Amino acid sequence: MSRIRKLEIAHFRSIRQLAWCPSDGINCLIGPGDSGKSSILDAIDLCLGARRNIQFTDADFHRLDVGTPISISVTLGELDDGLKNLETYGMFVRGFYADSGLIEDEPEKDAETVLTVRLTVGSDLEPSWSLISARAEAQGLERNLSWGDRVRLAPTRIGVMADFHLSWRRGSVLNRVSDERADASAALAKAARDARAAFGDEVQDQLGATLGIVATTAKELGIPIGDNIKAMLDAHSVSFSGGTISLHDAEGIPLRGLGIGSARLLIAGLQRKAATRATIILIDELEHGLEPHRIIRLLGSLGAKETPPPLQVFVTTHSPVALQELAGNQLFVTRSGAEEHDVLKVGTANDIQSTIRKYPDAFLAPSVIVYEGASEVGLVRGLDQYRAANGYDAITAQGTALLDCGGGDADMPFKRASAFRALGYRAAVVRDDDKKPTAGVEAAFIAIGGTVVAWREGRALEDELFLSLTDDAVDKLIDRAIELHGEELVNEHIKSASQNGKDLNAIRMEALIEGVTTESRQILGRAARSRKAGWFKSVTWMEAVARDVVGPDLESAEVGFRALVEKAFAWTSNAGQ
Amino acid sequence: MPGSDIDLLAIDRGTVSAPAGCGKTHLIAEALTRHASPKPILVLTHTNAGVAALRGRLDYAGVPPKAYRLSTIDGWAMRLIATFPARSAHDPALLELANPAVDYPKIRVAAINLLKAGHVSDVLGASYARLIVDEYQDCSIRQHTAVAYAAQTLPLCVLGDPMQAIFGFGADILAKWREQVCAHFPLAGELDTPWRWINAGAEALGNWLLDARGRLLRGESVDLRAAPPAVSWVELDGTEDHQRRLAAARVRPPNESGCVLIIGDSTNPESQRQFASQTPGATTVEAVDLKDLVSFARTFDLTAPDALERLAQFAQRVMSNVGAADLVRRVDSLMRGTARRPPSHVEEAAVAFLRAPSHRAAVDVLVEIGKEGGVRTHRPAVLRACIKALQLCDSAGGVSLHDAAIRMREQNRLLGRPLPRRAVGSTLLLKGLEAEVAVILNADGLDRRNLYVAMTRGSHALTVCSRTPVLNPSM
Repeated sequence: MSRIRKLEIAHFRSIRQLAWCPSDGINCLIGPGDSGKSSILDAIDLCLGARRNIQFTDADFHRLDVGTPISISVTLGELDDGLKNLETYGMFVRGFYADSGLIEDEPEKDAETVLTVRLTVGSDLEPSWSLISARAEAQGLERNLSWGDRVRLAPTRIGVMADFHLSWRRGSVLNRVSDERADASAALAKAARDARAAFGDEVQDQLGATLGIVATTAKELGIPIGDNIKAMLDAHSVSFSGGTISLHDAEGIPLRGLGIGSARLLIAGLQRKAATRATIILIDELEHGLEPHRIIRLLGSLGAKETPPPLQVFVTTHSPVALQELAGNQLFVTRSGAEEHDVLKVGTANDIQSTIRKYPDAFLAPSVIVYEGASEVGLVRGLDQYRAANGYDAITAQGTALLDCGGGDADMPFKRASAFRALGYRAAVVRDDDKKPTAGVEAAFIAIGGTVVAWREGRALEDELFLSLTDDAVDKLIDRAIELHGEELVNEHIKSASQNGKDLNAIRMEALIEGVTTESRQILGRAARSRKAGWFKSVTWMEAVARDVVGPDLESAEVGFRALVEKAFAWTSNAGQ
Repeated sequence: MPGSDIDLLAIDRGTVSAPAGCGKTHLIAEALTRHASPKPILVLTHTNAGVAALRGRLDYAGVPPKAYRLSTIDGWAMRLIATFPARSAHDPALLELANPAVDYPKIRVAAINLLKAGHVSDVLGASYARLIVDEYQDCSIRQHTAVAYAAQTLPLCVLGDPMQAIFGFGADILAKWREQVCAHFPLAGELDTPWRWINAGAEALGNWLLDARGRLLRGESVDLRAAPPAVSWVELDGTEDHQRRLAAARVRPPNESGCVLIIGDSTNPESQRQFASQTPGATTVEAVDLKDLVSFARTFDLTAPDALERLAQFAQRVMSNVGAADLVRRVDSLMRGTARRPPSHVEEAAVAFLRAPSHRAAVDVLVEIGKEGGVRTHRPAVLRACIKALQLCDSAGGVSLHDAAIRMREQNRLLGRPLPRRAVGSTLLLKGLEAEVAVILNADGLDRRNLYVAMTRGSHALTVCSRTPVLNPSM
C-alpha cells in the first residue's frame, strides 16, 4: 500500500522550505539538532494522520510569522485501486516521475499515478486538508480523501511513549493488524449494573442516617419518593472510554508497564504485520530505550534488509549502531540552509559507505575534522582538554567530531572528509607533510569548501613539536618519552636518528648550556617518529603530551606552529555557525 | 428464466450476438449479480433513455448497484476527457455541446486519443473490473474505436444485434458489424432462445421471428402466410387504407394490463400524431428533443395580444377535440360582454388569463381544457413537460419559459419514458420498448432492419399492414 513519493513543506516550524523525495523503505534521518528531523516526522504525521482536530499555535509557523500559511504536501504513490478510482479521485490523480521527482498534473503512461494531499494552516490556526490538482482547482472542485481512506493511510507513529498502541484505541496499531473488533458494550454494561447492585447493598447502612433524614423531609413536604429510598451508584458515572480494552500479559499486568524499549519493539513488529493496510511508520529516536542488539532487532523487524521493503519508515536517530546497521541509501542527512532545508541521501558510493561503517558517530555531528593518524587526534584532544580546563568551550560541545584515519594512505583523509563535505557537513583535514597527498586531491577538497591544516613542508607532527616548542617543553617531551619507553630505547632512537652523531645525554647537556639547537630538534623529531615505535604514537600518549606539555607551552611556542593550531581550533569554534 | 450457457464474465474480449427478446438483459443482469469483485463493472450503452431503461431492469432483477456503473458511451467519454483535460487536449468548449452534431464526434476523438496513449490505463484498471457495452450495433465507428482502446486495459464484452442497427450518427457512421466489430472482438456466442415469446406463451411466434430474422439477414423475403396464427396480415389495397389501419390500431391486447405498440411512418411524425388522436386510448411516444414544446416556449409571450391564441393552438396540438379558434372567439365576446351563454370552466380560466396574464394562469387554461368533456390528451409527454415548464417559471423567478422548457427536456432525456398502454411511434422511438401486441401500419415503408425491429416489439401478437403478404424489404 501507499508510500510517500514526495514531501513538500513550507513555513512549518524551523523549515522555511523543503522538497524531498524519500526512499521506499527506511528513511533514517540524521543530522545535527535543530536541523528539522522531528519537524519532518511531525509534518508527515499532521498531513496524513486521521485526526479531526489538531491544535496549532503561532509557534508552528516559521519564525512565528502567521501571515504566511503553513503548507505541507504529501504525494502518495503505490496507490491501491480505491485511491485511483476514476469516479472518486479522477480529478486529482497526478503523474510522478521517480527519476526526476517531478509531478505532472495528470497521469501519464510512463509516470506513476499519485495523489497529493495538502495540509494548510492559516493565521486562524484552523487546519484544512485537501487533495491537490491544478485542473480541479481551475474548476473550483475541492475534496479531501474520504475519512475511510484517511484512516487507512494514516501513518503509525511510535513516539517516545508508546502505550497508546497497546490498547484498542482509535488509530492504534492493534486495530490495524486485523478487522476484529471487540464488542464490549454488553459485557461492560452488565459489569456496570453488577457494580451498582453491589455498591447499593453495602452502603445502605453506612449512609442510613442521611437516608432517613431525606425520607422524612420528603414526606413532610409531600414529595412522593417512597419510604425505602436508596443510596446507589449512579449508572451514568460508571462509564468506559476508548482504550478500556488493552493488552495484558499472562499475569494480567497491563503491557503498558513494559519497558519503553520492549513496548516500542513490539509495536514496530505489529506494524509490520499490518503492512498490507498501512505501510507508513514514523519513529522518533529509534534507539530510545533500546540496547544496541535490540536496535538491530528493531531495524530488522522494520525490514531494513529486505527487498522490496515492506514498510516505508521515517525515523530519527542519534545512534551510531543504527547508522552502522543501515545502508547509505537508507540514511538521510537533514541540512538547514538560510533559504531551504535539504534532505541529502548519504548514498552507497564506496567511500561513503565505508566511512559510515567505520565512523558512524562522526555523521551525528555538524562538523568533522579528519586526522591522518592517532597522534593528530591525540594532539587535538589533549589541547582541547587543556583549553577546556582554562575556560574555553570543548570541541565536542561545539559539535565537532574527530575522525582518525589511522595513518597510511595520504589521500584517505581527503576521501573521508570529501564524503562528509558532500553531505553538507563542515569538514577539515589535519595532515602531516612527510607523506604528501596525490597532486590535486587537496585542491579539490578545498574547492568544495573543505579546510586543510597541514604541518609545514616535509614535517610530521613530531617534527613540528620538537621544532616549535620552547626548550623547557622539549625537555618535558623527552622526559615523557623516557617515562613511556625507558632511557635506553629513547637513547637508541636518538642515536639512530642522528646516525650516531648524538645521543640522549649529549642533547640533554646541550640543552642545559646553550639551549636545544635546531639540529638537535630535527634529530629529536625524527627519533620521536621512528617507524612502529613512535614515542607518542597513540591517542592516549599524544593526548597526555598535548594536555600537559603542548597546551601550557603554546603561548611561547614558535609563531608558525601556533598559527596552525589556532587555525584548527578557530575552525571548530565556528562549528555552530 | 433458466441461465444461458454464455458466461459474460468469462469473455475477455468478444462479442455476443443477441437477437431481440433472447434474454440479453437477463444475461447482463445475471453476470452483474454474480460479479463479486470490489471493483464495479462498467456498463455502457447508447442513449440516456437506454441507460434509464437498463437501470430499471437491473434494479428489477435485484442487481446490487455496487456491482456496476452505468453510463452512455458519450457521457462516459465526456467525463473521461473532462477529468484529464491536458492529456486529452480537447477544446473545453466541446463539453458545452453548443453544436452537438459537431461536438460529439470531436469528444469521441478526444477520448480515443486519451485512451490510445495509455495515460489513463492505470486509473481505468483501478476503477473497473471489466467493461460491457450493450446495444453495440448502434456504435459509431468512433465510439467503437474508443471502446477498442479501453479494451487494451479492461476485459471487454460487447452485446448487440446487427439486425437492430437502425440509428445513424450523422457524420459519424456506424461501425460495420462483421468487418469491424467482430474483427476486433471475436464472436463469443449467439443467443438463440426466444425467451420473451416463450415466457408470453407464444413460442411459435418467437421461433418464427428468429427464422424471419435469418431470412432478412440473408436478404430473403418473409411470407406472412407461413406465419403462426399470432401474426395477422391487413391488406392495403389503396382504397380505404387509412380506415383499415385505424381498425388495426384498435387491436385488443391479450389481457387487461397488456400494451399495444403502433408503429407508424418514421419520416412523418404528424401522421403518427394523427393516428394517436384518432385511436381511442392511444398516445404518442415523443422524440427526446420535444421540438413542439421548445418552439412553443420560445415564441410564447404572456403579454402579447395573441398569447391566448397561441396557448389554445398548443393545446390543440397535444389534445384531441380542442377547438382553439372557437375558444378564442368565445373569450373575445365574453371580454366584450356580448356573450349570452355563461362561460364554461375553460372560458373562465381563459378570461382570467387575459385579465391577469401569468404562467400560473396559463397552466390553469391547459388543465381546464384537458378536463373538458370529449377532450383527450394524445401527446401527454409534451403537455406534461409544458405544464411543468410553466410551473417552473411561476415558482422560480427570472427563468424564461424557453430555459424552463429546455430544462424539462433535459430532465426527460434522463428519465426514460414510461410506456403508455397504447403507444404510437416509429421504430426509432419504440426501439427497446416492448409490448404485448405490435401493429405495423406500413410494412412496405420499412427496410429489413426497421422491419425486424418493428416485428419483434410484441410478445403475444403482431399485426402487419402491407400491400402483399410477402415482404421483400430493401437492404
